[in-house]
Amino acid sequence: MNEPLVTLQGLTLAFGPQTVLRNLDWRVARGQVIGLLGRNGAGKTSLLEALLGLRLPQAGEALLFGEPARSPSDDVRARIGYVPQQAELFEDLSAPQLLDYFASFYPRWNGAKVQQLLARWEIPLTQRIGSLSGGQQQRLSIIRALAHEPELLILDEPVAALDPLARRDFLRELVEQVLERATTVVFSTHILADLERVAAEVAFLKDGRIALQAPLDELLEQTRCLPPGATVAGLQPLGEARFGLWRSASAQWPPQAEPVSLDQLFEALA
Amino acid sequence: MDSAIRFNIHTGSAEPIYRQLIEQLRRRVAAGQWKPGQTLPSVRELAAELAVNPMTVSKAYSLLEAEGLLERRRGLAMVIAGQHAAADRAELLLPALRTAARQAGELGVSQARAIALFKQCLKEDSDE
Repeated sequence: MNEPLVTLQGLTLAFGPQTVLRNLDWRVARGQVIGLLGRNGAGKTSLLEALLGLRLPQAGEALLFGEPARSPSDDVRARIGYVPQQAELFEDLSAPQLLDYFASFYPRWNGAKVQQLLARWEIPLTQRIGSLSGGQQQRLSIIRALAHEPELLILDEPVAALDPLARRDFLRELVEQVLERATTVVFSTHILADLERVAAEVAFLKDGRIALQAPLDELLEQTRCLPPGATVAGLQPLGEARFGLWRSASAQWPPQAEPVSLDQLFEALA
Repeated sequence: MDSAIRFNIHTGSAEPIYRQLIEQLRRRVAAGQWKPGQTLPSVRELAAELAVNPMTVSKAYSLLEAEGLLERRRGLAMVIAGQHAAADRAELLLPALRTAARQAGELGVSQARAIALFKQCLKEDSDE
């Protein structure tokens, strides 16, 4: 029961000459809410696609609920919700037609929740999807991913097209999911404020690997910024040395040590 | 009339959100704005209102309960606890004192001199 929902082992993924993921290992345990951070082009989308089996790696293995991700069974498919960065929706259907179509694939479908979210997020019901705004399409994609009550939610920049109020409302819905079903969530975002609210864990993708993963609270509490040149006996700098970040649960910090924000962690680690 | 219990959080701060909740409650209770017996919003309500991970809210509540600032009532509701030891209140000074201690170090002020100045501040305050 405690096996990880996602297991990536020695994953290497390249596009032509460009290697995006290098011998990457990663596990996502049940109930975790993980924010995936990395610079533009770090390979976050590739990583999420590879863990879903949508991209085949040159080397290594991706398992979802213990099964090979490249050929998931219907049962595994039904337990996963995915919001891609670019919503790929059938443009000529209306929102209700699209959702009816998807409902037929899943053993479970929360129609009441779908109706409620369509109304709350003001999705036009009669227009064709192709004529909806980017934000409306993204919200529709989120509704589609939540409707079958997945155990694992993979969200790739889910709020990029949303205004601040819509973002907040989306986060509330995510919090609901976590409360009601202990949903496991992996989401990538550039909006650190959102990540700070919702993610319990943060994972930094850098140079094709997960450079660091830790509970966000701990990371904030255990990291200090020291002036250039200062060192702490027995410690290595956290991330790039020029940012002067150091992490320890027990160090006696010198008086100049300052607490750090998530922005500073991102600078040094991503 | 008691003031309603409302929390605010700031993202982008070096202080984790659960800490912000704890410190806010401590300050409001110490200032007498939130009174013993007042009921806190449930974990679910507060998590939804602030759009934060529910585990963050339960972590803050459990730590406050362990400290004796909150009590769990029959059922699940958390209420602000009765008496607080004077020691708890004195500890509220620690953040300000730590900042002062750091600045004393930066300025090269001796410990004895810093303590003398603090005593003087205390005296001025009680004379007013």
